[in-house]
Amino acid sequence: MSNSEPKIVCFSCKFGWGYLGSEAALSSQVKNWIPIICSGKIDAQYILDAFRQGADGVLVLGCPEGDCHFQDGNVESKKRIYLLQKVLEAYGIEPERVRIELSLDPEGKKIPELVKKMSGTVKKLGPMKVLASR
Amino acid sequence: MAGKPMVAICWLGSCGGCDEAVVDLNEAILDVANAVDIIFWPVAMDFKYHHLEAKRDGEIALSIINGHVRNSEQEEVAKLLRKKSQLVLAFGACACFGGTPGMANFRTKQDVFNWVYREAPTVVNPKRNYPQPKSKVNGKELSLPEFYEKVYALNQIIDVDYYLPGCPPPPDLTANAIYAVVEGRLPPKGTTLAPDKALCDTCNRNATKPSRISLSDIKRIHEVEASPDTCFLAQGILCLGPAVRSGCGEACMNINIPCRGCFGPVQGVEDAGAKFISALAAMLEAENDKDIRQLIEKIGDVPGYLYRFSAPVSALSQKQV
Ligand code: SF4
Ligand code: SF4
Repeated sequence: MSNSEPKIVCFSCKFGWGYLGSEAALSSQVKNWIPIICSGKIDAQYILDAFRQGADGVLVLGCPEGDCHFQDGNVESKKRIYLLQKVLEAYGIEPERVRIELSLDPEGKKIPELVKKMSGTVKKLGPMKVLASR
Repeated sequence: MAGKPMVAICWLGSCGGCDEAVVDLNEAILDVANAVDIIFWPVAMDFKYHHLEAKRDGEIALSIINGHVRNSEQEEVAKLLRKKSQLVLAFGACACFGGTPGMANFRTKQDVFNWVYREAPTVVNPKRNYPQPKSKVNGKELSLPEFYEKVYALNQIIDVDYYLPGCPPPPDLTANAIYAVVEGRLPPKGTTLAPDKALCDTCNRNATKPSRISLSDIKRIHEVEASPDTCFLAQGILCLGPAVRSGCGEACMNINIPCRGCFGPVQGVEDAGAKFISALAAMLEAENDKDIRQLIEKIGDVPGYLYRFSAPVSALSQKQV
């Protein structure tokens, strides 16, 4: 991965992110972008699967606190991610490789920016060696 | 003795508890000994590896293997038993999922060696030696098994036919497993020879389990005097019962200790810890960042808690030697 861009998988909730924008246009800008209904749908297992399939980082975008269409899916997702970060650390994987942001962006303009930012963070961490060695 | 099926019982990286569990069959072990011919059981009888090597391939009806694999001797013995046996039963949490020794996968081999041979306060090692697979002493070469980078569950090393989890497995399921082979009542390959239910479904504290659990504080079992008949989760003590397979005989519950997961996940769940994360997250009663993090800190060792018996088989652990 030294020269190539890290692979970032981005899940975003359709209720808060990009619903006014064009999905096709956003998809072409953001590789591995997965719009979903409620960030609370993201099970820890999905994130592990993303890593297993070669992701270097996972970004979850949910609605602002108190604004979840399904009451508190966004907070559930946050709790799972904080727990999962502890597990990642134990396996020698930097917790910064998973991030959740609760905010709102109907046009979805921020999505490519946030993915880029995440990509920068992950690039500094280097490749995920540990999956193969422990 | 002709006609009786041959059975081998063997420990790999094991504490001996699983062998003890076979002995715990008590009188029933005499029936077992009548029904089968135990041809190898290093813990209990004087057999050597060459006795195994002398068997024809597939001559042994069943090998009951306990313990994890972390060195070349364990790998070699596992492969030898596989070759000589029609069926292999992974016996106990270590063989099934890596077990408690699997938590060593949260550290590197180097960390383990540094601690055990150099840094632990009880170690006296002025030359700072590590054990080496080969060393020369007085012109002779001595060899030791090679210590691997990490702990493996048995099915990461050889093909496994059946699984019986537990730390150690209880006598009723142990006897059932052996008789299933003797009597030819075998379920499909890959089956776990234990109930498919979650522990909560059979726990006698279940009546006091709240329908919605909300933990605004987490207590550890040694910090409180727990009620002996109320659901642990209702008392703010973490219990893995909702996500763990039943069948253990509730030995821990009976001495007022919450479930820690030695029977592994319920049927169909691949990664026990990841699955429990969702259940656990839903129980944590906290909304803002600070409260969530604080509550998580109260759990203490989160990965150890979620993968106490299964770290080597988690999705984050790869499966090559
Ligand atoms: S499963 Fe438990 S009893 Fe069996 S060898 Fe492992 S630690 Fe010991
Ligand atoms: S959570 Fe534990 S104590 Fe409560 S019913 Fe389930 S197994 Fe029993």
